[in-house]
Amino acid sequence: MSDAPLHGIRVISFGTGGVVPDFGKIMGELGADVIKVECKENPDFMRTIGADPDNIAGFNESNRSKRDFGLNLKTEKGQEIAKRLIKIADIVGENLRGGVMKSLNMDYESVRKIKPDIIYISSNGYGSGGPFSEYQAYGPMLSAFSGLLSLWCHPTDPYPVGANVPLPDHYASKMLVVAALAALDYRRRTGKGQLVDMSQVEMAANMIGEYCLEYTINERVPQPVGNRSPYAAPYNAYRCKGNDQWCAISVLTDAEWECFCQAIGSPHWTKEAKFADLPSRLKHVDELDKHVEEWTLQHEPREVMIVLQNAGVAAGVLYRPAEILDDPQLRWVNAIVEVDHPVAGKRLYPGIPFHISDVTLPPSRPAPILGQHT
Amino acid sequence: MSEHQEGALSVYRVLDLTDQKGAFCTKMLADLGADVIKIERPEGDATRSIPPFAGDVPHIERSLYFLFRYANRRGVTLNLETADGKKIFEKLVKKADVVVETFPPGYMAGLGLDYPALKKINPGLVMASITEFGQTGPYKDWKGSDIVNYAMSNTMITSGFGDGAPINLPGTPSCDAASIIAAISIVTALYMRGAGGQGRYIDTSVHETSRLALYPWMLPMYSYNVNPGMPPPPPEGRLGAMIYPVYPCKDGFIRVVALTPRQWDGLVHVLGDPEVLKQPQWREFYYRIGNAADIYAVMLEFTTQFTMLELFEKGHQEGVPIVPIYNIEGFTNSPQTEARKFYSEMKHPVVGKFKYPGPPYKWSGTHCEAKRPAPTLGQHNEEIYCKELGFSKQDLAALRRAEVI
Repeated sequence: MSDAPLHGIRVISFGTGGVVPDFGKIMGELGADVIKVECKENPDFMRTIGADPDNIAGFNESNRSKRDFGLNLKTEKGQEIAKRLIKIADIVGENLRGGVMKSLNMDYESVRKIKPDIIYISSNGYGSGGPFSEYQAYGPMLSAFSGLLSLWCHPTDPYPVGANVPLPDHYASKMLVVAALAALDYRRRTGKGQLVDMSQVEMAANMIGEYCLEYTINERVPQPVGNRSPYAAPYNAYRCKGNDQWCAISVLTDAEWECFCQAIGSPHWTKEAKFADLPSRLKHVDELDKHVEEWTLQHEPREVMIVLQNAGVAAGVLYRPAEILDDPQLRWVNAIVEVDHPVAGKRLYPGIPFHISDVTLPPSRPAPILGQHT
Repeated sequence: MSEHQEGALSVYRVLDLTDQKGAFCTKMLADLGADVIKIERPEGDATRSIPPFAGDVPHIERSLYFLFRYANRRGVTLNLETADGKKIFEKLVKKADVVVETFPPGYMAGLGLDYPALKKINPGLVMASITEFGQTGPYKDWKGSDIVNYAMSNTMITSGFGDGAPINLPGTPSCDAASIIAAISIVTALYMRGAGGQGRYIDTSVHETSRLALYPWMLPMYSYNVNPGMPPPPPEGRLGAMIYPVYPCKDGFIRVVALTPRQWDGLVHVLGDPEVLKQPQWREFYYRIGNAADIYAVMLEFTTQFTMLELFEKGHQEGVPIVPIYNIEGFTNSPQTEARKFYSEMKHPVVGKFKYPGPPYKWSGTHCEAKRPAPTLGQHNEEIYCKELGFSKQDLAALRRAEVI
């Protein structure tokens, strides 16, 4: 374990929910000693969404590979101990609602007085320094504010609803890891720490920067295009045999179109002139999609995927979790690990995705139970 | 925020051989100050042809995708499939810290430019490969695309309305996931090298990493549910409208995320304390998910009496998270976006001046923002090949004629 990349680096995490907990988890996976600060009176809110605070899937995923220190920051004693922890830390991470760390005298300006070279990673929903910086927010709200959600629907939907996903939380968390590593590298060269102040709304906007340019350059408000593409057809999610079963297919070039036609047995409609080249297929895309779905409806999604991929056409099942357990490629790279948690027992989690030559990362450790390492 | 010109990664040089899969990776490194040199074949990257275009004029310097994703780089042209091109690349590698490439598995090896070969030239080199499905394994030669990658990420099956077709997420989210995971690996390897380590090779795939940035909780949620006893509903339904309900208001739509009973009470208060909303069981999050359609029908009458901004501000006062659903115009012109100076002015030789979206964070001690627009094709050939590698202008002309650059 001593040769882990971040061996000897200590992170104090005042994180709650998705972003900073996931940030801490990755720092822990890379070998840092990550200490999560929370307490019975004020736990990470993800512990409160179910009956048992130590048996919540989302919490136990985002808090693996760290230690848990029970500390009530609302007491003077608690703040004093937190400051002692910060003195022996390299990195502080926080995503408490805007203004909370300041009210605890633990914002960057306060912390650098006791630890001048601290790297302070702050991530709020709307970011500091604007009229909404103290507004509380969760991931699905930030994709709404950024404009991302407005594009994430079928043109015929009454309004956009996105997915079950707290997007962009788990992008923001990983971008903070890149930031923390870059700041550590800079500190080693110069001795200087600093503050990184992230806006999660801006993270969501970074995922659709080209759409932002559509507005600022072309002065047009981008509209949702659903599952279609302006430069590929067929390109959609197609219903397959079974209950709510789907497979995505994308055919980019005319050469791939030839492969596609052969793979599905060259039915007569594929020979019609209106589907002969990409511009024609784009023009008749509704009719094209109907034909394609006539074929996919006769097959299970996995069969559609394999037949088309073997023919050189991109296709992928709309996976449910049980199906990724059987995906041979994910097995090949050990993308799924089992971790034994003292309360939750043996459960499945995503594996560590950093494949760096001659680096063996420490095995994933279970999320701590509340106050376990006080 | 920062007056410094130096970025956290300014000491590093990165050779950028990426397409969509790695564009966000090298963008992150460039935003943090690394000297990123985008290397394109002489006729230009395929990403330059991605629509839409600035002014709706299809042109290699006008793709909005390219303008956003490849800002902050210098750019050269180089044909790696020629002997001279290969030699020039090797010269560039000698002076580089990082190579990021997104070719299909085996392509770089076929050119004699895989990691073992490049490491001989530069033992400290960090090289990252980003592929669709991986360098090895049963699916290594399979093809991906935005919708296919998103489908396989576990997330698309949860996207959209429960009774409708699943909906794709715009942008290149799966590629961005792989890009960020690769960037973490690259900076980790640089950090280790700084402590006296050697160069490293990094293997990242879109297929393995997409769900980590999109929805890493889904597999654990599934795993926690497959338990003896009463299984809760599977996590893979399309539940967005029920978990994070969207309501119409006077001038658009809002989204409410009320998880705790207190937050729900706050929402009822924001809507003027109507008696019909004060049903004790409605205070429970899971009850509301299970009865979303009934509750929605009652809520409409009250939410439609307010504007988006009124509900946003009242929600903040009453402790319930409410947000306007903005389109790009609403986001761009929001006082929050303006106060943080998210957009900066960029000047491009073909497109002219425009507002460019910056990175999602401000750094207090080092520079982190967009400095230069995406390079025009071969813009820095002379600067890099002549000034840095010592070629003469005549050499350059000959290389151009031979279609090496």
